[in-house]
Amino acid sequence: MNDQISNRRQMLLQGGAGFGIFALSQLLGRDSNTFAANNRQHASGFPVEHHPPKVKRIIQLFMTGGASPMDTFDYKPELERLHGQMLGPKEKPEGFTAAAGAIMKSPFTFAQHGQSGRWVSSVFPEQAKLVDEMAFLMAMTTKTNVHGPGTYMMNSGFLLPGFPCMGAWISYALGNLTDDLPTFVVLPDSRGLPYNQKGCFSAGFLPPVHEGIVIDATAKPAVPDLFPAQQFAFANRTADQDGLDLLRQINQRYADTHPGDDRLDARIASYELAAKMQLSAPHAFDLSKEPEHIHNSYGIQQTETADFGRRCLLARRLIERGVRFVQVWSGPQGAVNNWDNHGNIEKELPPMALSVDRPIAALLRDLKASGLDKDTLVIWTTEFGRTPFAQGSLGRDHNGGSFVTWLWGAGIKPGVAHGRSDDWGYQAVENKTWCYDLHATVLHLLGIDHTQLTMRQNGIDRRLTDVHGHVVQEILA
Amino acid sequence: MNVENASAFSRLILIAIALSVSGNAWADDQADFFHQQVEPILRQHCYGCHSHASGQMENGLALDWKSGWVVGGDRGPAIVPGNPDESLLIHAIEHRDGDLKMPDEKLAAAEIDVLVQWVRQGAFDDRVVAPSDNDDDPWWSLKPLVAVPIPQMATPTGDTTSHPIDAFIGLKLADAHLAPSPDATPRTLIRRLYFDLIGLPPSPDEVVRFETNPSETAYLRLVDQLLASQHYGERWARHWFDTIHFADSHGYEHDVGRDHAWPYRDYVINALNDDLSWATFIRQQLAVDHFEPESSQLTAALGFLGAGTYDHSTYITGPVTFDYLARDDLLTQTMAAFVSSTANCARCHAHKFDPISQEDYYALQAVFSGIVKGDVRYDADANVAALRRRLVAMIDAANRGDTTALQSPDCQELVAKWTADHGSGASWKPVDLQSFVSIEGATLTRQDDGAILASGPSPETDTYVINVTASLPRITALRLDVLPHDSLPMKGPGRCSNGNLHLSEVVVTAFMPGENSGKTVAISQATADFDQAGWGVHRAIDGDAKTAWGIHPVVGQPHHAIFQFTQPIDLPAGSSLTVALKQLHGGSHLIGAFRLSVTDSPTTKIIALPQDVEQALQIEPSQRTQSQSIAIAGHVVKLAAQAQLSQLPEQATVYAAASSVGIPLGGGKTQPASIPSPKIVHLLQRGDINKPKDQVPPGALSALTHLPSRFTDTVSQSESARRAALADWIAHRDNVLTWRSAVNRVWHYHFGRGLCDTPNDFGRMGGAVSHPELIDWLAIWFRDDAAGSLKKLHRMIVTSKTYRQSSQHRDDGAAIDADNRLLWRQNHQRIDADSYRDLVLAASGRIDLTMGGPAIQHFHQSPGAQLTPKLDYAAYDWASPQSSRRSVYRYVWRGIPDPLMSALDFPDLGLLIPNRSNSISPLQALSLFNNNFVLFHSQSMAQQIIDQSNDIDQQIVEATQRVYQRSLSAAEHERFRDYVDQHGLAAFCRLLLNSSELLFIP
Repeated sequence: MNDQISNRRQMLLQGGAGFGIFALSQLLGRDSNTFAANNRQHASGFPVEHHPPKVKRIIQLFMTGGASPMDTFDYKPELERLHGQMLGPKEKPEGFTAAAGAIMKSPFTFAQHGQSGRWVSSVFPEQAKLVDEMAFLMAMTTKTNVHGPGTYMMNSGFLLPGFPCMGAWISYALGNLTDDLPTFVVLPDSRGLPYNQKGCFSAGFLPPVHEGIVIDATAKPAVPDLFPAQQFAFANRTADQDGLDLLRQINQRYADTHPGDDRLDARIASYELAAKMQLSAPHAFDLSKEPEHIHNSYGIQQTETADFGRRCLLARRLIERGVRFVQVWSGPQGAVNNWDNHGNIEKELPPMALSVDRPIAALLRDLKASGLDKDTLVIWTTEFGRTPFAQGSLGRDHNGGSFVTWLWGAGIKPGVAHGRSDDWGYQAVENKTWCYDLHATVLHLLGIDHTQLTMRQNGIDRRLTDVHGHVVQEILA
Repeated sequence: MNVENASAFSRLILIAIALSVSGNAWADDQADFFHQQVEPILRQHCYGCHSHASGQMENGLALDWKSGWVVGGDRGPAIVPGNPDESLLIHAIEHRDGDLKMPDEKLAAAEIDVLVQWVRQGAFDDRVVAPSDNDDDPWWSLKPLVAVPIPQMATPTGDTTSHPIDAFIGLKLADAHLAPSPDATPRTLIRRLYFDLIGLPPSPDEVVRFETNPSETAYLRLVDQLLASQHYGERWARHWFDTIHFADSHGYEHDVGRDHAWPYRDYVINALNDDLSWATFIRQQLAVDHFEPESSQLTAALGFLGAGTYDHSTYITGPVTFDYLARDDLLTQTMAAFVSSTANCARCHAHKFDPISQEDYYALQAVFSGIVKGDVRYDADANVAALRRRLVAMIDAANRGDTTALQSPDCQELVAKWTADHGSGASWKPVDLQSFVSIEGATLTRQDDGAILASGPSPETDTYVINVTASLPRITALRLDVLPHDSLPMKGPGRCSNGNLHLSEVVVTAFMPGENSGKTVAISQATADFDQAGWGVHRAIDGDAKTAWGIHPVVGQPHHAIFQFTQPIDLPAGSSLTVALKQLHGGSHLIGAFRLSVTDSPTTKIIALPQDVEQALQIEPSQRTQSQSIAIAGHVVKLAAQAQLSQLPEQATVYAAASSVGIPLGGGKTQPASIPSPKIVHLLQRGDINKPKDQVPPGALSALTHLPSRFTDTVSQSESARRAALADWIAHRDNVLTWRSAVNRVWHYHFGRGLCDTPNDFGRMGGAVSHPELIDWLAIWFRDDAAGSLKKLHRMIVTSKTYRQSSQHRDDGAAIDADNRLLWRQNHQRIDADSYRDLVLAASGRIDLTMGGPAIQHFHQSPGAQLTPKLDYAAYDWASPQSSRRSVYRYVWRGIPDPLMSALDFPDLGLLIPNRSNSISPLQALSLFNNNFVLFHSQSMAQQIIDQSNDIDQQIVEATQRVYQRSLSAAEHERFRDYVDQHGLAAFCRLLLNSSELLFIP
C-alpha cells in the first residue's frame, strides 16, 4: 500500500507543471512525514525530517493564571526559615500588581516521591505518584509579569499579539494525521477562554487554516458549523447529500473552465473532506463510548474534576484519532477560578490543584495503557510563576522569574529535573530555560530543526523561537 | 489500473489537495525554497562565470536571472522545467557528459539534490528582472525617483501610443517571448470592475447592457461611475484597515470594545470617496490637530493613531515596558503603511538588512512619546469648536485675571449688560421657622438672629428637616447661609474637625393649604460664593448622594449657596415648605450653623457670588479700584462663558491617541490618562528597558539623505509638532518610499499581488520588484500628474489592457512564467471574507446599503470574568435590524473573531496585514455550508424570489442571475430544476452561495 501511495505521489509530482507542483506538495499535508521521507523537504523549503521524529502528537495542559511553583513542584525550605521577613524589592517591579510583601512559606507540606525523590506538595497527590515518568524544567523564566503578554509568550514566543502559536506552527509544518478531524484542537475551560481570548490559538501570519479550532466540550455539535442548525429545515440530510453531489458538479464545471488552477480542485475536495468529518467527528467527541472505569479514573463523575477530566479524556480520544495537537486549558481568564492566586494561596490553590490532579494522572496512565505514549508528548505548563513574597498577607503576586514545566511521554528522559531556581524560588539561576527552549525541544521531538521552520513576514523570517532557543538535551531520552 | 482504483486514486489526489493552503502562500513557499536553498548554490558556484555582476557570461549563459537559463547559452536552454534528465544544467553539475562538467569541482551531493529537486519541481525562479552590472547601487526602493521614459514599442498593429502601463508590461513580456492575453469577456470585465472597485455585484441588467455594447466608451463610463460611487470608499477603506490593523477592540488580556472606533472608519471612507490627495491623507491621519487646528470635525482622522492593539494590563502594572511597546506598535504601523519600511527591526540592534540604525528607531519612538491611545472628544461642527475655543479662552483669561482680555470691548459689554440685569442683586427674607429636626439626633437650637445651631451628638451622617412658612407669597429661590460659630471646630461653619461640611442633596417640598402630601420643587441651578475643589455646589442638586458641596479649606467664615427654582412657586396663605438638608458623606461632615431665606427677585438677579465680587458690586462703579473691576469682570465673563458652554451641542468621540484621553474599559466607562509633555526616549541597549543609553530626539530614517531625519526643533514645541514633522517627512515629494509604497499597494489590490509582492517591506528582506521602471513611472505620475489622487491612479490601472486581460491559463505563459510575475494574464483571485459576506447579502436581496455610524455587533455580548466580555456569534439572530449592513461596518473584536469570517481568512489584526491569505480547507467548507449566516440568507434569498414568481424555472433563473449574473445552459438548468423540485429553492440557493464561481473574481 505504501508503495502504491508513493507511486501515486510520484505521478502527482511528475504530472503537474511548474507552480502546480508546489501547490500540490504543500497541500499534501496529511502524510508529510512520509512525504518527507521521500523528499526530505516541506514545500516551503525547510527539512521536515531534519532527524527522525520521536513524537507524532502532543497534548499540552496549560494552567491559566500562573501556577505557583513554590507551592507545587519547587520545594523551598528557605522560605520557612525567612517567613515574615521583608526581604523583597523595595519598589514595585514592572508587572507586579502590588509592592512586594514579606517572605511567605508555603502553607502546604512537601514530601519526596518515587525513585527520583522529587519533592511535590500535598496539593498534587496523584501526579506525585508519576514523577518518575516526568522530566521537569525547574527554572523556566519569561520576559514579563503580565498575563496577556505572558500567555502570548508561552504560546507563540512573542509578547505581542499576531504571532502564530506552537500548535499553528506544528500544523503548518507537519499537516495532519487524519482527514477526519482538525489538526489543532483547543479545549478551553468550560467557564471561559484564557487571557487574550482566541489570540492564544491564533495562526498569526500563517494561513488561518492552521489556527486552533476551539471546541466547547459541552456543546453539541462540538465542532462549530459541523451541521446546520435545526431551524433551517431545508438543510436536511437528503438535501445535504444530493446537494453536495450537485455542488461537486457545479464546482467541477467551473474548475473545468479554469484549467491550471489547483485551488478549484482543492475546493471540490474540501467538501468531500468536510463530509468525512461530519461522519467521524461526532463519534470522536462522544465520551459515552468510554467504559465506566475510564470515566471513573478521570474523575468525570465528581463535580470538582468533571470539567477538566472530561476534556483530558476528550484529548486522549482526539489524539488517538489523529489530531496532532490538543491544548487543554485549566481556568478561564479573570480573577477567580484559575491559578492566579493573589488573595490567599492556602484557599485558592487547592481547588484548582484538585480539579486537575486526578485527571492528569488518569490521562498519563491511560496513554500508557493504550500504547499512545510511544509517540505522544504531554506538556504541563503555565505562563509564569508567583512571588515568594506575600501579596496582602496570604496570596502571591505574578513572577516571571521562575516557574516549572514538566514533560512526559515519547522521547522524554523519565525522572529527571533540569535547572534550579534560587533558594526562594524567585529567579531562575541554574540551567535557565525559556519558552524558546521548550518550543525548540518540542519541535526537535517532532523531527524539526526549530531554526529552519520559518515564515517571512513584514521583512523578517519569523520563527516560533524568534532568534533564540536551544534543545534541552538533558531531558531527552 | 482498474476503474475502482482510478476513482480511489483521484480521491486520494483530492484529499491531498484539500489540506489547505493559500494562493499567496504557494508562491511564497516556492520563493522561499528558491531563495533559501537554490539561489545560494547558484551564487556560490555559478555566478563567478555566468552573471552580470561578474561581467562574464561564459558561452552566453547567465544564471543570475530566469531569462538567462530560459534562453540559455550557445547550447540552448539550460533547464527544462520539470525534467532534470533533459536539463543541460543538471547534466553539467552531475558531470554526466564528458564535455560538460560544471563547475570543475563537483558540487556536494546535497547541493546537487537541491538543484535536481528544484528543476523537477518546475524550476521556480522569480528573478525576472535583469540584474544590474553594479552591486554597489543603492537598494531599489531608496534610489531617487528619476523620470522614466515610457517604452516605445510597436504593437502587432503598429500602434505605438499604447497605455503607459501596457508599454512597461509589454516590454518585459516581449523580452520573455510572451504575448499578453486577450481582453476578458464583457461579463467578466464588468464583474471584475464591480468586485474590485466597489465590492458589490452588478445587476444582471447592467451586465446585459454592457455585453450588448462593450465599447471603450462604455467601459470608461463604467469605471467613472464606479469610482464616483460611495461604495468605492467602503471597499477600499477595508484594505487600509488591514494594512494598519484597525479593529474595534483592544486585543490582549483586557480585550475591551472600542465603541468609538467607528468615526475613524467613516473618516477613511469619506476621505477615499472625496479623493483626498495622498499627502493630505497622510498629514491628516498623523497630525490633523496640528495642520488644521480649526477643522475639529476632522479629529476622527487621528483614529489612525489608535488603530492598533492596547494592553491595559501592562499599562497598569508595567508602565515603562508599556510605553516602549505601545510606541513600537505605532511606529511599526506608520512606517510600514506609508513607507513600506520595517523600522521596527532596529529595536534591539541596527537593522540587519536595511540602512536603519537603532537611533532612527528610537527617534521614531520619540515622535509618539507624547500620546496615549484612548477616546478623544471633539466637536463635529467646526463652528461649535471655534466658539468653544473662544469661550474656553475667556474662562482662562478670567482665571488668570488677564486685565487686557477682561478690559476688551467684548468683555466690557458682557459686564455692562450683566451688571444692569443684576442691579443690586436679589433681596432675601429669612423664612419663618415652624419646626426643625436632626434625623440622627443632633441638637438643633434656634439662635436669636434666626440661625439654627447644631450641638450635642455629632453623628457620622445626618439629615436636617426644616419646616417653614415662606415670608413671601411667591418665591423664586432658596438661600442657605452656613455660619461660623465659636462652638464649632475651627469655628465652623461645619462640624467636621477641620470645620468643613458636605451637603449631599437639598430637597425642597411645597405643601399647598389643606394638602397632606407635598410636591418636590424642581431646582434648576445652584451657585455658591465658594466651592471646595471637586465639591462644587451643583453636586448638591445632582441626585447623587455620594457627591456633595463643601467649603474646605476656607473655614471659620460664612458661606452661602443659592438654589434657584425652575419655576417661581406661589405660596398662598396656609401653605408651607419643607427643606431637607442631606449630609450623607460621613465623617461628621455636617452643617454647624445655618440660616434659610427666600426671595421673589427675578432670576437674573439671583446668584451667589464670591465674596470679593459681592463686595466690589456694593461699591459705586466709579469708586471701584481696578482690581475690584477686574474681579467683577472676571466672574461675569466666566459665568457668561460657562452658561454658553453648557448650551453647546454634545461633543463627539473617536478612539484615537492624544496627550489626554479616556481609556475605554467597557460598559461605557473610561479611565482618564494624560501625558503632560512628551516623555524622554532613550536608546535601549539590546532593546532592554533596564539598559537605557542616550536620549534620542524625534526623527525618522537617516537613509533618505536628502530629507532632514531629526526633528530636534519640535522638542520645544507642542506635542503635535513631532507628529506633524514626521507627516511632513513622509508626505514630502522627495520621499521616494512614500510614492512607491502607495502605487504598489494600490496595484497589489487590483492584481492580487504588488509589483513588489511585500507591500509593507521594500527592504532587502522584501520581495523583488518585477517592474522597477513601472513602479517608478507610476510613483512619479501619481505624485505629480495625478497630484496624489487615488481615483486617478485606479483609473490609470483599470483602463490598461494589462488589467483587462483574461485570467485564463495559457500553457505557454505557465511554462515561462508560471507565477505570472510578468502579467501575461490577469490573476484569478479568491474573494475575501468581507466581499463574500457582501455578495451573499446582495444576492439575498437583504443588503442594507446605509453608510456610516456605530459598528454593528453580529453577536450576543454578556459580561465576562473581568473586562473582556463573552461573545456568542452563533446566538445572533440574522433577522435583527442592521444585520445586513455591509461588512466594513462590522464590529471587529480582535481576540474573539467571527468564525465565518475567520474561515474565509479574515485576518488576526494583532499585526499589520498587507495581504490576506486565501486558504481552502474542510473547516472552511463546513462554515460555508452550515454557518447560520449562509443558511439564513439562502432562505431569505429563496423566499424573496418565490414571492416574485411562482414559476420554478423563473426562480432558478433569478437565483443564478443574482449570484453569477449570467444565464444557464440547458443542461445546467435541467440539473438545477431536478434539485429544486426535490429539495426546494432555499437548499439550491445554499449551493450557489457555496460555489467556486461566486468565490473567485474572474
